[in-house]
Amino acid sequence: MSEFKIGVREAEGINVLELKGYLDAHTAPKLEEAFSSLLSLKQFRIVVNCKDLSYISSAGLGVFMAYIEDVRQNKGDIKLTNMSPKVYNVFDLLGFPLLYEIFKDEREAVTKFKDSK
Amino acid sequence: MKLRKVLYGAGVGLLLIIVLIIDVVRKSVDIDLSGLGLMRDIAILCAFVLVFLLFEMIVRTRDQSPVKRMGLALVGSVVMAIVGVGGSVMLEGGFDAKNSILLPLSYGSLFLATVVSALFGVFAVGVLRFLRDLTLYKRKRGTQRNLLIFIGLTLATSISTLWLKPLEREVFVSILYGFAIVAAVVNSFRLSWIVYLSKREKVFGLVYGFFLFSVFIVLNIAIQSGSISRALLYYSYPLKEFVSLVCVFGNIYFGMAFVSTLFHLPTAEAFDRKTSELSSLHNLSKLVTQAFDFNELIDTVTSMTLQVCEAKGCWLELIHTNEDGRGDSLIKREDALRRSFVGSYVVRIAGMKNITHEEIDALLPDGVRTVRDAVLEERRPIVVDDIRRDVRFKKTGRTSVPTGSLVVVPLISHADVIGILYATKDTEHGFFKDDVDVISAFADQATIAIENSRLFNKSLERERLIREMMLAQEMQRKLLPQTLPQFLSVELAASSTPAFEVGGDYYDVAQLDEHRVGVIVGDVSGKGVSAAFYMSEVKGIFQALNKMYHSPKDFMVKANEALFGSFDKRSFITLIYAIMDIRTGTVMIARAGHCPLLHISENRGSYVRPAGIGIGLGDGTVFASSIEEQMIHLREGDVCVLYTDGVTEARFKDDEYGYDRLMDAVLDVHHQSATEIKLHVLNSVKTFTDQEASHDDLTLVVLKWRGNGSTQPIEVS
Repeated sequence: MSEFKIGVREAEGINVLELKGYLDAHTAPKLEEAFSSLLSLKQFRIVVNCKDLSYISSAGLGVFMAYIEDVRQNKGDIKLTNMSPKVYNVFDLLGFPLLYEIFKDEREAVTKFKDSK
Repeated sequence: MKLRKVLYGAGVGLLLIIVLIIDVVRKSVDIDLSGLGLMRDIAILCAFVLVFLLFEMIVRTRDQSPVKRMGLALVGSVVMAIVGVGGSVMLEGGFDAKNSILLPLSYGSLFLATVVSALFGVFAVGVLRFLRDLTLYKRKRGTQRNLLIFIGLTLATSISTLWLKPLEREVFVSILYGFAIVAAVVNSFRLSWIVYLSKREKVFGLVYGFFLFSVFIVLNIAIQSGSISRALLYYSYPLKEFVSLVCVFGNIYFGMAFVSTLFHLPTAEAFDRKTSELSSLHNLSKLVTQAFDFNELIDTVTSMTLQVCEAKGCWLELIHTNEDGRGDSLIKREDALRRSFVGSYVVRIAGMKNITHEEIDALLPDGVRTVRDAVLEERRPIVVDDIRRDVRFKKTGRTSVPTGSLVVVPLISHADVIGILYATKDTEHGFFKDDVDVISAFADQATIAIENSRLFNKSLERERLIREMMLAQEMQRKLLPQTLPQFLSVELAASSTPAFEVGGDYYDVAQLDEHRVGVIVGDVSGKGVSAAFYMSEVKGIFQALNKMYHSPKDFMVKANEALFGSFDKRSFITLIYAIMDIRTGTVMIARAGHCPLLHISENRGSYVRPAGIGIGLGDGTVFASSIEEQMIHLREGDVCVLYTDGVTEARFKDDEYGYDRLMDAVLDVHHQSATEIKLHVLNSVKTFTDQEASHDDLTLVVLKWRGNGSTQPIEVS
């Protein structure tokens, strides 16, 4: 199985998760872990950069569903950015654009967070 | 066989009677036929050879213990000593010596000499047989040869006296006699049977050996001197030499046996123990291969441990890293549970002998570091020579600690301590290195046995689960349509294959009313058992709602209402629902996050993708506002394909099957029947993945519009 990696960094006070590789049922727990640790640190403003995400399965999509409620209740949000057309199609098929804000570029998402502050 | 015995017996009797007759005749009629004496001696020799053969046939003593046979030999030799002493008194002065020839002075002496000689002859044959069996015990190369040399020399000595008169002495006879005695001495070192006697037997052997040695001295004196000697010489010089050599051999042999037994006595106990250790280990390794009764196995291990090191008490603990002791569910007693102080091990006392839970707790109290923890950490046996004085027991600070010594041995499997075996003795310094070695060897065997037993239970459990899964698979298969309705205007074909035993894919076809047919395909996120449960829930909802809502959008909204919130947060369901009017070929489509419908019309393909989020992703209003409905009109020959992402996401290396390949595959054969299209697509996916096992559930429903507008269903065979 191909690898999956998560990079966590901060951009102007916003937490950015960088996903890389295959996000499926085997690797989904890694992403859950990343979200859990952010939430436990009371970090609710999260941008997920999908630039290097090459595949996402329904189990991967489920991870976002698991945390979005908590995050929004704490006046935060999960915004998704930089998706490849293929990955976007998967999100789109399921109707994620109706549920999440998806941006072409990470900066747009960060700016959106800052504006809403 | 019986006939032969009788014949041999009769032969012996006949020969001895002939000899007696000759003797009587010789005494009464004073004749001297030189040939007669030789024939007489040969007859006697023949008689005793027959006696030997007769013994071989009648007496089966080989399997008896040597000590028992020593006892028999002792009885025989005491009888012979009495005969010897009695005979020599009665025969005193019974013979007259003249020209080296002995003549009986009376018929009484003659008879008595005959009887005594015959008895001695028979006795000597018996003793020889016994000595033969003893020397040949655990024979080595040369053992038999040495014995044959002795017998050969004895017979040679005997035969060399055939031509001599009873009182004649010849140097070569003495030389042969001497060689025979040397051979007897050599053979007397063959005493290996003593080693294998138990201690008790050795004590008996010692006593028997001593008395046998003493009695044989008496016998030898009688044979060599006095009137018995004369009687034997008179009767037969060769017989006398034979008897004499056998008795000397016996004397030397039993003397050696006595001394050897004496030396073996101190080590007898150790030897006994080694023997029992060996047989215990052997028994245990036998048990390893057959014991599936866990409790019986533990019981055997503990009782054998007691046996091999003569411990007073013994117990066996099983170590679990967590509460996973399912394989050992037989041990349920609460008082058998302990916890290690170091690490987080759960300790179960699986079996105990001659020790109580209170005593164990006194030795290994809770809440402090004990030898148990030391063994868990060090993973090697620990010997406590004196429990009271040992520093490891200082901390317990209790007076109830028993006195004595303790040995603790870990059971190690794959670098994990799976159990600990303890043995206690009342005495201090009770366990030596060899005890620890044997208990360790024991622990190793026990480890294998316990592991075996656990594996066996695991495989039972596994088999049970496999059966359950097969059942679940069968059940789920029954949730999917067994047959599809067929209509003159529309052909239907479908297939669904789970990636594992059960899956989360769902499809169904239902006739809603006279002219409307609903086709639904769904995919529960995730795979396996949890997905299968949701899948069956979807089936229930579809069956319940499809007749009530004739708009696919309405159905979707109601389905979401029913399912939203009843899922795990990260689970959702995607659905695509098409309702077709089989008169007009109008199809209404709603999609809840599912893969788009593939529509092939006049050699062109397109994906129909009305908006809509997955079921479970949003609450009633969010969901309802997201769902759109789209209508398409089918023309004659049009094909619709509904499928799950198992088709488009079928993977080969880093590539996906994708939408384009799916469309191409259908376009290739779109003018063929629905079933052929279905088979072609499945084949195409299979070829693409190069037969790799699919990692997702895969479902495909093909619908082909014939366009004659008939509402008549056709019967399916």
